[in-house]
Amino acid sequence: MAPLIHVRDLTRDYRLIKKREGVAGGFVDLLRPRYRDLRAVDSVCFDIEAGEMVGYIGANGAGKSTTIKMLTGILTPTSGKVSVGGLVPWRDRLQYTRHIGVVFGQRTQLWWDLAVIESFRLLRKIYEVPENIYAEQMKVFDDLLGVGEFLHQPVRKLSLGQRMRCDLAAALLHRPRILFLDEPTIGLDVVAKESVRGFLREIRDLQGVTVILTTHDLGDIEQLCRRVIIIDKGEVHFDGELEDLRTRLGRRVRLTVDLREAVTADDLRKVTADLPVTWRDREGKNHVAEFRRAEVSGAEVIRQVVNDCQVSDLHLAEVDIEEIVRDIYRAAGKEKA
Amino acid sequence: MSENLLVGRKPRRGVTAFIWQLGIYGTYFAQFVKSRLAYRMDFVIDTLAVSFSIVIQMAVLTTLFSKVRSLDGWSFPEVLFIYGFSLVPLGLFNLISVNLYGFSEKYIIQGKLDRVLLRPVGTLTQVLCESFSVSGINEILLGIGVMIYAGRELGLPLGIQQVLGLAVLAPSAALVYSGVFLAITSVTFWFEDRMGLAPPVYNLIRFSRYPITIYSLPVRLFLTFALPFAWVAFYPATWFLGSPGFARVALLTPLVGIVVFSGAVLIWKRGIKRYSSTGS
Ligand SMILES: Nc1ncnc2c1ncn2[C@@H]1O[C@H](COP(=O)(O)OP(=O)(O)OP(=O)(O)O)[C@@H](O)[C@H]1O
Ligand SMILES: [Mg+2]
Repeated sequence: MAPLIHVRDLTRDYRLIKKREGVAGGFVDLLRPRYRDLRAVDSVCFDIEAGEMVGYIGANGAGKSTTIKMLTGILTPTSGKVSVGGLVPWRDRLQYTRHIGVVFGQRTQLWWDLAVIESFRLLRKIYEVPENIYAEQMKVFDDLLGVGEFLHQPVRKLSLGQRMRCDLAAALLHRPRILFLDEPTIGLDVVAKESVRGFLREIRDLQGVTVILTTHDLGDIEQLCRRVIIIDKGEVHFDGELEDLRTRLGRRVRLTVDLREAVTADDLRKVTADLPVTWRDREGKNHVAEFRRAEVSGAEVIRQVVNDCQVSDLHLAEVDIEEIVRDIYRAAGKEKA
Repeated sequence: MSENLLVGRKPRRGVTAFIWQLGIYGTYFAQFVKSRLAYRMDFVIDTLAVSFSIVIQMAVLTTLFSKVRSLDGWSFPEVLFIYGFSLVPLGLFNLISVNLYGFSEKYIIQGKLDRVLLRPVGTLTQVLCESFSVSGINEILLGIGVMIYAGRELGLPLGIQQVLGLAVLAPSAALVYSGVFLAITSVTFWFEDRMGLAPPVYNLIRFSRYPITIYSLPVRLFLTFALPFAWVAFYPATWFLGSPGFARVALLTPLVGIVVFSGAVLIWKRGIKRYSSTGS
């Protein structure tokens, strides 16, 4: 079967006016503006199957929101193709929007002045949600997100966390097949983040909704997505399972040691000379080593260090996904420069 | 890839779409009134403000006419009647299309238009629905009051025919008015700097409250064909006054309304296309 979301060579330029200097320049700009095209999304390709939950990540300005805007039909691409279940988002807008839910974490989709419950009623009318489904959905939202507490408050009086929960509920009220989330956990505290993540997991299991989410919090990705797409400067740099991303970079492990006496990194390098281990350049009692699990076992490294040095404490940890991604962003940055 | 995985209702077209959107409109309106009722004071203040400005304008008219008996052959009650009529389409406009004011600020700069584009309802319907000005009701009621008063002075008949006439002519005039503002609003899609064209044009509406025969020919032609504000008050009002020559022309008001508004809707649609292709 064809994938639910099919994206090919998706490209988007923004036209920027090149400003001239001074007041006279301002006038000239008005009459004969000079333009410069900025390529925000560059030949992006991917396919997403129904039921997948995909993380779409990248540094600031990488082109995530622009991609989401094209996938949701707000923006028309400069070139390229998007087909979602046979519909073209920006062309079949009235039909397409019935099947999708969208949350922009940065700003609410709700009516600022209306009470939450009234926003929901309005959405029910707009999306023509049958009474029984509306009731079911509202029950789910109350059970999982606790929206019942603030149903009668106007949206403008909600806290950020409450508002985000309402936005999520509003986006799912009509049981869309696909959910687009642009930074759904931005600005939330740890507890609120957990509640949003828990909700997304439940809703995926319960209603089989396909989710694409962008975020700067890799915790979201680790807890929700098996697949990630990494985009940088508009181009896809990685598309695959999160697990692959880890192994591709060789499951790095970091060993932190506290010694009784100060030594230099070179001393430690001698200690582990026959092992594929890199020590950070440091002096003093605290030192850090990194190695790949595939090349050497943690036990072996620790044995050598403990044998030759006066160790007071040890700590072994896997390098987290955040750092791996940071390295990818950085490498991509260098490539371009 | 032609199979449609997203099965569901085909989009409505034509009359069914229109009726459905009217239903949505009603829902929005009910919501709006509900949320407004929470601020009862606002309504009172609105009423006072509108009444005050109308009293001032009528005082100006009265002083004017205490000096000159008639204005280019139009008597005071006739001028007053035209003025009264002009308030009705204005009220309708305020009631329904007030959101066109400050549209570019609210929807383009603040980015609310994105949200509008994410909903399965026409963009214009949504934008018009999202705000109503209750003071519009005041204007409509006051306008009708002024017309009744001036009509009595003139000895005009008041029957079912006049009521029907108002029911047709006032909405048509409001359509002209909304069309002009919609066109002006839509033009902001093309300007980076979003200059405010609406306020100066809004001021021009004043000229249309007087019999246009007092103006020179170029101005008359301008108000009839270019910026068709003469159709907002003067022409339709003459139908009630039975002014020779003009009363017939007045019957063209619905046609003018439909043409102006449809034209404006076309510009709006182009503008929306442009928005999604420029992203700003
Ligand atoms: N409306 C616009 N007009 C001009 N340039 C824009 C516009 N929107 C975005 N851009 C530019 O396009 C590029 C991609 O922006 P985009 O918002 O898609 O990034 P992002 O990945 O969502 O970033 P962030 O993580 O900061 O939200 C940026 O360089 C941005 O400055
Ligand atoms: Mg973004």
